[in-house]
Amino acid sequence: MSKAIYAGILLAGTFLAPHIALAAPSCGANTGQAATGKPIKVGGIYGAAAPGDFSAASKAAGAYFKCVNANGGIKGRPIEYLVENDQWNPELAAQAAAKLVGDQKVVALVGSGSFVEMSVNAPFYRKNNVMEMASACAVSECFESSNIVSTNQGPLPSSIGAAMYAVEKLGAKNVVCIGLAIPSVGNWSCGATEKYMQSKGLKGASVLLNPASPDVNSGLLEAVASGADSILVNLPAGLANAFLAAAKEQDLRDKYSWTSSTPLYDVSVPKALGDYWNGKVYVSAELTMLDGKGPDNQNWLAVMNAYGKSTDPRDTFSQSGYLSAKYFVETLLAMDPAKLDDRGAVTAAIKAIKGKKSDMMCGPYYVGDADRHMPNHAGIMVVIKNGGFEKVRDCFQYEGPYFAPLLATEKAMGLN
Amino acid sequence: MRPVLPYLGYALIVVAAYIFLAAGKPTLVSGLFVVSGLAVGSLYALGGIGLVVLYRATGVLNLASGAVGAVGVMLAWELQQRGWPQAISWAAALATAMALSLLYGRLIAPGLAWRDPIVKAVATLGFALIILGVTTFLWRTDVVRKFTLPTDNQAMMLLGLRVTLTRFIVVFATVSIVAGIWFYLARTRTGLQMRSLANDRDLSALIGVRILRVESIAWAIAGAIAGFTGLMFGDLLRLEPFVITFMVIPCVAAAICGRLENLGLVLVGGLTMGVVESLLTFSPTLKNIRPIAPFFIAAAVLIVMQRGHQLVFARDE
Repeated sequence: MSKAIYAGILLAGTFLAPHIALAAPSCGANTGQAATGKPIKVGGIYGAAAPGDFSAASKAAGAYFKCVNANGGIKGRPIEYLVENDQWNPELAAQAAAKLVGDQKVVALVGSGSFVEMSVNAPFYRKNNVMEMASACAVSECFESSNIVSTNQGPLPSSIGAAMYAVEKLGAKNVVCIGLAIPSVGNWSCGATEKYMQSKGLKGASVLLNPASPDVNSGLLEAVASGADSILVNLPAGLANAFLAAAKEQDLRDKYSWTSSTPLYDVSVPKALGDYWNGKVYVSAELTMLDGKGPDNQNWLAVMNAYGKSTDPRDTFSQSGYLSAKYFVETLLAMDPAKLDDRGAVTAAIKAIKGKKSDMMCGPYYVGDADRHMPNHAGIMVVIKNGGFEKVRDCFQYEGPYFAPLLATEKAMGLN
Repeated sequence: MRPVLPYLGYALIVVAAYIFLAAGKPTLVSGLFVVSGLAVGSLYALGGIGLVVLYRATGVLNLASGAVGAVGVMLAWELQQRGWPQAISWAAALATAMALSLLYGRLIAPGLAWRDPIVKAVATLGFALIILGVTTFLWRTDVVRKFTLPTDNQAMMLLGLRVTLTRFIVVFATVSIVAGIWFYLARTRTGLQMRSLANDRDLSALIGVRILRVESIAWAIAGAIAGFTGLMFGDLLRLEPFVITFMVIPCVAAAICGRLENLGLVLVGGLTMGVVESLLTFSPTLKNIRPIAPFFIAAAVLIVMQRGHQLVFARDE
């Protein structure tokens, strides 16, 4: 081969590689024709203000809706996605819901993510018979309400998954869960972890950190004093990083086994933690790995590349937002076109979702007409290694008393 | 005897907290919590001392010191990510904090010189929020970062707790700053002028003290302390602008423990706050209110120490 031809192939490859690395995204009806009809209004509420940003899910849902609109929309009608920021303020969260549901008459809310919004608005959604297909939930109300269903797991299942791994694979007999001292978050998730340990005849304890306190050392010492042999870090990534730094300061790495709920499954975490924790922290991941090769995960990446911004996060919440939006669009596409503006009909269609499967999620996604919804209660485990993550356990079903009513519901729906 | 009484008072608070909260616990365990509390308290004291140094010279309670320190440590982290030598990144952090502090001291503070102390303090809060806004715009809050110092890897055991060299540096620096500032105010000409300004700004101007120059020196020193404090907070607490910025609040409580003038009492008050906050972990009922311990102590100190004295915010009146 002549040098000129070789150089030409190399040059072409250099330019084309980024574009052929991911196939073109596939969205909705996938017609390739832009939707031009009357928009269907869909809402979303996220929390973004210091000290945290939960907008990744609604950004991914927005990217997917843009892709759907460019590919035939919903029977020719585009989705108008209206998003509001609650800024972690309950009053703003209530105003956002009133604006979207009351004024804009959205048919559903999709891709929401907040610590605040779901606690405030769950009764409002029930009263107005509107469904929220959330994607970044953290509080109990998000999973224990009739009109909210979330694709992500939240801290409770994720922590139990981590505790199960500590018990089954790392030989833990006494797990202490480090959670946030926020009502409906830390006590809820760490409390369920304790009950899981008790159900196995083992010991469990909780240490709840006040997020307003700059000192994490006392929490660490309390965990040490609990007599545990395994420490489960169930904190937002920034605080978890501080907690592990305090543990590093005390050189506790080899004295305990270390697990974490999902917040540490973030691309910025391995570098921040450093070599000290290499191969030592096992993290419960709620969805497939971020570089998963399955068709849905690859399509998520393709949609984000084509319709999202380069600065939009590609994290678990983003995966979750994509998946919620995809299931929502599939639901609308299966509906009678005449009823797409009928909120009651859309709510009924969402509640009828059953047995949807994806390579991004271990179990089937369903909604159902119930007082609580938690379709995602199986996950994978990864370990922080060599500046990234390696999968150490494939999909496994979480156990414990908390899941008994959910499993009964699924059995009644014929899902397991 | 009288000057020793406040120190004895703080010692009494620590002993009472220990007896009330840690009684019956193994000494080894309670010792861990005391040392841990001293480590956190030294951070409160360090921040409080920076506040008092500036307040004594200019009458401004600088609520922006945390935000200024946060910018410094974020910049140091950024430079290190780009491969810059650590020493240069630390110098850049200190220089940036000094520059921001001087900027406020030269451009904004003189315009508020004749306003009430509370107005001056609130103005610095506005400056803090502007800096925090810019910082969180430049460095996204959803990224996990870690700032480390080489001294983090060296440690010694103290009452069963592993204490890193960085924490010893904080304690040493705090004591050194107290001593250095005392010497500066007591023995140098500009120190004398600062005391003169603190005592009576009008009279100082009349007798020829170059107010702007002296105040600029005070703002620069305060900026340098804030920059150093920011580096320590970024390393020992969390590299999060929001957290570092609002660390100024317990630091204000530490400053109040010294009635905004006595650096020795700020040091002891800060350490007391840290130890009590740490010991509260032993109480299942009180551990959830640990973050308010510094303010509870500061409020108690205000009530006890104000008796027969001028009000803290009334020094210019």
